[in-house]
Amino acid sequence: MAVASYPSAVERDLRLDFFRGLALFCIFLDHLPNNILAEFTFQSVMFADAAEVFILISGYTAGMVYGRAMERQGFVAAGIRVYHRLWQLYVAHIFLFMIFLATVAYTQGALNKSLYAEEFGATNFLSEPGLALVQALMLQFQPAFMDILPLYIVLLAVLPLVLAGFRSWPRVMALVSFALWLAVQFDNRIALAAYPGPDRVWFLNPFAWQALFLLGAWFGWRNIHGEVSWLTRRWLFWLAAALALTGLLIRFNWTLHDFYDPIPVLVSGKLLWPFLSKTDLGILRLVNVLAVALVVASLIPLQARFLASSAAWPFLICGRNSLYIFCLGILLSVLGHLVLNEFFGGVAMQLAVSVAGVVIMITVAALLEWFVAAQGTPGGGAVGAPTASKGARG
Amino acid sequence: MIRVFLRYSIVLIAAIAVGLLPAVIGAEERECPVPERFYTFEPPLTKTAKALASRREVVIVALGGASTMGVAAGGLEFAWPARLASALAEKFPSKRAKVINLAVGRQTAKRAVERLEHDVLPLKPTLVIWETGTMEAVRGADVEEFRQTMQTGINKLRAAGADVLLMNMQFSRASDAVIHFEPYLTAMRELADINDVPLFRRHAIMRHWAESGALDLRAGDGEKGRELAANLYDCIGRAMADLVTRGIPAAKRANRAGGDR
Repeated sequence: MAVASYPSAVERDLRLDFFRGLALFCIFLDHLPNNILAEFTFQSVMFADAAEVFILISGYTAGMVYGRAMERQGFVAAGIRVYHRLWQLYVAHIFLFMIFLATVAYTQGALNKSLYAEEFGATNFLSEPGLALVQALMLQFQPAFMDILPLYIVLLAVLPLVLAGFRSWPRVMALVSFALWLAVQFDNRIALAAYPGPDRVWFLNPFAWQALFLLGAWFGWRNIHGEVSWLTRRWLFWLAAALALTGLLIRFNWTLHDFYDPIPVLVSGKLLWPFLSKTDLGILRLVNVLAVALVVASLIPLQARFLASSAAWPFLICGRNSLYIFCLGILLSVLGHLVLNEFFGGVAMQLAVSVAGVVIMITVAALLEWFVAAQGTPGGGAVGAPTASKGARG
Repeated sequence: MIRVFLRYSIVLIAAIAVGLLPAVIGAEERECPVPERFYTFEPPLTKTAKALASRREVVIVALGGASTMGVAAGGLEFAWPARLASALAEKFPSKRAKVINLAVGRQTAKRAVERLEHDVLPLKPTLVIWETGTMEAVRGADVEEFRQTMQTGINKLRAAGADVLLMNMQFSRASDAVIHFEPYLTAMRELADINDVPLFRRHAIMRHWAESGALDLRAGDGEKGRELAANLYDCIGRAMADLVTRGIPAAKRANRAGGDR
């Protein structure tokens, strides 16, 4: 293992860690209620938001790491590594659900008050906790903030099969994935049912979001044997740059208009909304995140100096320990949400909660780095195998 | 002696002041004021304003769920539409603005749109105030579908010549901890913005009242809870009256209201 992972230590792409770390901070900030800092995350300048960035980069690293593992250790070993990681995510999901249940139990009295009779009456899971528990174990019950982990879990669950498929029929896999996404765009009844029903579906439709994850995985897998040559074509760069810039102009204009109403809207949202569905990963979101990724990857070289600077360090360590920091970030969002709604306190409080959350994320990431280095795991810590191998280290 | 007198007079003055305080506050400032920033950029309701300024009868229809029915306060007469009617009557003593409450508990936006044809449009409303979003948020309905449904509703109402005013969900610490309102709040804000219809930001306004201590939204059950609800609906009705009459020039407003302000 130590010898096997050596090449990855040399090639390690710090840009992946950096932007994944950035996405993790953004996901946390976006999830706080009324947060002023949420105006300064991806979603203010992109049609896509931090969730797309996170899923794309996660797909890429997963394809790279597990693709390599599959080539060297075989299907079963790589599959076990994937499922080990999946298990950790599942446990994290259940942990978050416990916190949700505690919140519900704690606030039940308040919810029960007649002023909120409507809200209470419709949240019928309170009256059938047994069923709600089973549904949560089956990932069907996804209360606030608990939608992205189940998505990640099902995506990882199919990953071993997909990687095996990539080896034998890469084109067929790509085509099937794309076709499935396309089908969802035309018929959003292609979805997974969620609890409590009857019309509820998964907030992030796995049939649509798989396209982004698998596309990332495909590029990551191809990258094991050198760059995908057509990605570096000049015209493709300019096309992506034009798309990313158009997205930026339109979206940022909306942000400004939202901030100060008299600023006119250049392109009406009415025209674009049908293509901006987050649940079904609308085409504008998909194209936008891919274009931005290509532009960023082209403009920032692998050895960019700022990636080695101390300013980039907090992002790098969070991105490198993404599994833990991702779960921690969601936990902190839930807690921050409760704090901000319980004590209010305006912008100062929002900033305080935001900063506290980010500092906690960085501190925990630093502790994890230190712990791994102290354990002296082969290829560990600073230059070790990418995040996904954390599962193997256990 | 003088000291004793002073002491008594101070107590007396204080007692009078305390006794008068509610009246003074009632006249000058409401206990639940809504800062201008919640209204600043809301487009005026031109038809409603014109109708209120004319001699024609003004029919206002309220669509919504339990919080519009006033269940928590004990009935329709305590619900915000009724409070809106009385606030308008105060502002325009010479006019009769009829506010018809068509709210039904747990009504989805889709159901409300289906009812427009038969229940709402025959009343020939000048203004339709549409309170919605709660059921969708609670049930986690598809945001895109919710948006389309609302757009259909807005189009229908406008085609029938009515002004439209949207009202979003209630705020409470408890329900906000358990229900993910954000995507639906955003959708309603964007819909209002794009259609140039005003939005009564009930969620943000109630949050503001809770935050500033104007209303203790955590008040208890039973009689206390009923009082709170009645108080809250009164606050909302009055704030709504402010929003509805924004399109009327101040001079005219003062005239009609007989020096209300």
